[in-house]
Amino acid sequence: MNELSRAQIRDLMAQVLANQGKVLPDDDAADLREIGFRSLDFSELALRVEDETGEELNFDAPGLRRIATVGDVLDFLGTLQRQ
Amino acid sequence: MTITTSTPAGLDNRVVVGGVARTWRALPAPALPSPAAVLAAGSADALTAARQHAVHGTELLLSTAHRVDPAMRDELRAAGFALTTLDADGPVTVPPARPRPAEPGRLWLLTSGSTGRPKRVGHTLDSLTTVRGAQPSRTWLCPYAPGTYAWWQVVTLSLTQPGQHLVVVDPDELDDWPAVAAAHGVDAASGTPTFWRRTLHRDGAALARVPLRQLTLGGEPVDQAVLDQLRAVFPAARISWIYASSEVGASIVVHDGRAGFPVDWLDREVPGRPRLAVDGDELVVSSPYHGAGLAGPVRTGDRVQIVGDRVLITGRLDSDEINVGGSKVSAGLVRGVLTAHPGVAWARVTGRRAPVLGRMVVAEVVPTPSGEPLDEATLVRWCADRLPEYAVPRRIRMFTEIPVKETLKSDV
Repeated sequence: MNELSRAQIRDLMAQVLANQGKVLPDDDAADLREIGFRSLDFSELALRVEDETGEELNFDAPGLRRIATVGDVLDFLGTLQRQ
Repeated sequence: MTITTSTPAGLDNRVVVGGVARTWRALPAPALPSPAAVLAAGSADALTAARQHAVHGTELLLSTAHRVDPAMRDELRAAGFALTTLDADGPVTVPPARPRPAEPGRLWLLTSGSTGRPKRVGHTLDSLTTVRGAQPSRTWLCPYAPGTYAWWQVVTLSLTQPGQHLVVVDPDELDDWPAVAAAHGVDAASGTPTFWRRTLHRDGAALARVPLRQLTLGGEPVDQAVLDQLRAVFPAARISWIYASSEVGASIVVHDGRAGFPVDWLDREVPGRPRLAVDGDELVVSSPYHGAGLAGPVRTGDRVQIVGDRVLITGRLDSDEINVGGSKVSAGLVRGVLTAHPGVAWARVTGRRAPVLGRMVVAEVVPTPSGEPLDEATLVRWCADRLPEYAVPRRIRMFTEIPVKETLKSDV
């Protein structure tokens, strides 16, 4: 499997926000609500990860838990790639 | 049941196929059994079978070889049809597995199979003939696959109405049809929105050289953008869109240049005209031009949405609605927004499995060749200005060629 690095997922996340005229802060602790990253954006990011890796993510996997920060998103998608 | 036939009135109309002009009357006359399922190699062969039916009342199902798979061939033979392959060398017939008497005058159509396996729908030349009043003389382009409902619509018009000539193009001539049409004086053409978009996309200048006075669209949802683009090329022509199917015949004909039909056409009773209704989101049609056994209200499987004073047909019920986290999105309406962008020649909108929301809206787009370079972010912003947030396609892939199938549709 062509797994994406955390930095690559971060770039994709920045692209999702840039398409809407928003900027992804450098700080992984940044609050998603404050930067305007919502469930639609999360879903789009997951699709972009799938398109880059050519693999479907297992969204049914347990662990779609509270995701509040940029770091949570990167951690979660990183984990999902390995399941 | 016996259906009477009479000599068709259009036998002296001109028919051009493969660049050769003849009349219906002068076409070759293959010896076809009855009932026959004829698999035509090309348009020239299909026209001879149609003429044979019109003159002799041969019970006929007409299609092309690749639309009828081995299982369907067995099914047809079991239903009493001789299976006849028809090409330039003449007919080759496999007899029916269970012979039965022919039903003179009966024409069978195979549905497109977009909702499953193709079904046989019984018609006659009369039930397929929806244009009956005197018409101005026209030379029609027929780009459709032989034996489809749309093909029969154009063919019956030419067979039954004097002064309605025909220029037929086979799939291998489709990309260059404007040149063929201009050479043979075509002034009326019928095609799917995909057919028209491809033509505009490939060579709009060549299209403009065809002296069209009548343009007809059908077979797929018709959006405002394609109507407007054709109007810009042909400001004086009549531009019509038709809603028709094998099951209910030609049921809606709109000439005002707008997508959809007027909302006050719903639930209206006009003798001799189809009755249109909406049940839930579905278009329901009771049509005098229905196929055999389909009298009364027929659920079309097509999804409609009322927007202002128009009823828009947005797509198939089973594929048009996308549920994004509980919010319903019409793929057809999103497609309409995308194709309204001046840089977009064609778009397909679908739902894609996604976390949290279940599905989300994604799109494929073909940019216009002469437009400004188009990127995903530009189109996302265009849609965000016109659609609710959940309906905005978030993944938009760019392609260079508009896809098309033998049916002239692209399954948008």
